[in-house]
Amino acid sequence: MSEMKKIKNLKEFSTSADRFEGANLLCPGCAHSIIVREVLNATNDDLVLSASTGCLEVCTAVYPYTSWDASWIHIGFENGSTAVAGAEAMYKALKNKGRLKQPDRNPKFVSFAGDGASYDIGFQWISGCMERGHNIMHVVLDNEVYANTGGQRSSSTPIGSSATTAPAGRVSYGEKRNKKDMVSIMASHHIPYAAQVAPNKWKDMVKKIQHGFSVDGPVFINAVSPCTTEWKFDPKDTMMITDLATDSLVFPLYEIIDGHELNITYRPKNVVPVEEYLAAQGRFKHLFKDEYKYLIKEWQERVDANWAYLNRREEARV
Amino acid sequence: MAKRGWDEFEIGAMLRSFDGVSNDIATTLQEDRNYSQSNSFVASVADWRIAKPVFNKDFCIDCQFCWIYCPDMSIIARDKKMIGVDMDHCKGCGICVEVCPTNPKSLLMFPEQADEEAELSQWPAKDKETK
Repeated sequence: MSEMKKIKNLKEFSTSADRFEGANLLCPGCAHSIIVREVLNATNDDLVLSASTGCLEVCTAVYPYTSWDASWIHIGFENGSTAVAGAEAMYKALKNKGRLKQPDRNPKFVSFAGDGASYDIGFQWISGCMERGHNIMHVVLDNEVYANTGGQRSSSTPIGSSATTAPAGRVSYGEKRNKKDMVSIMASHHIPYAAQVAPNKWKDMVKKIQHGFSVDGPVFINAVSPCTTEWKFDPKDTMMITDLATDSLVFPLYEIIDGHELNITYRPKNVVPVEEYLAAQGRFKHLFKDEYKYLIKEWQERVDANWAYLNRREEARV
Repeated sequence: MAKRGWDEFEIGAMLRSFDGVSNDIATTLQEDRNYSQSNSFVASVADWRIAKPVFNKDFCIDCQFCWIYCPDMSIIARDKKMIGVDMDHCKGCGICVEVCPTNPKSLLMFPEQADEEAELSQWPAKDKETK
């Protein structure tokens, strides 16, 4: 095993040499690249990466340019995770046969995918990777919408959000179904590690990524990625929105070890009302009309119930 | 790289990020890397900007919040010090200014055509209202 990169504080972290390059075509203020940087900089080992179709893929591999300074592959919408799992299986086989040129280098296998490619389209493929026990990490950049193709709803889109295929108007308040609890579903595969992270809590995130790299087996990471275009806020407010998401407990930060040991890793000192999180985004603007005000109350109740559920699970260790 | 027509693309392309052999990229700083012409590092998105961040090092405390939260790898940090902004890759989103904790801020957004020297000479004074 190679040495784990030591990251004690942000100053030490800032000596990292980025392996993700600028002049990609992501929107100004996009959280995707913040997450990708924090994941890639968490290790000094070689990387084998893949990206499923989505904003990250179309914006970082625009022919004739690539923004990746590591081995990177893109095949289809659904099979980013299996592409990397195949590379991992080949690496293991060559290692067992003693045919690797540099057997001591210990590369890490990471697949990136948006919520569309993970929650909906690539779901079966990811589930297969988790079940087969490949030594890979799957990172979901969860922006709760198909942002690349113009804002269609995905099964990650939360209730009340206005999406282009579930628009808010005179007869509807937008998306009517609740968000899929993907971390629990993946943890139910009894994988060694599943976690929810946010880019604003970089230390928590780096700790989880490093733990994910150190365990032997599949790892699932769900990262909240505010989308300035589809969530409709100003590009400069990306980190403010992420702060609101974690502090209002809409995106609680926790980890599930071996499918049963749940730890809450971040407890906000001052819990912000969900109303503030909703009010900061244009996609929830219609909820503040009189006829839809009851939805905000329901939102708060749902978030509180989820937080209580996580706390109970942490206490009971189930 | 010259522009190509729609029928001149290869089917299934492989692009090299670096020229020649490149080991240990994770510990090689950008100025020491041998970038190839197909690495987006050699391209520029400077024309996306309508406002640019101006860095005033007199107030900077080297907390590196701007470095970690910059989505475009445009904050240049060397030896734990923030030394400037990479204007070829900055898209002008303004996150660095929002997360800057100093008072007054050591990064501020100005219109793209503003003169950097002039703005630095009339930097706002410490704001007593905010804590």
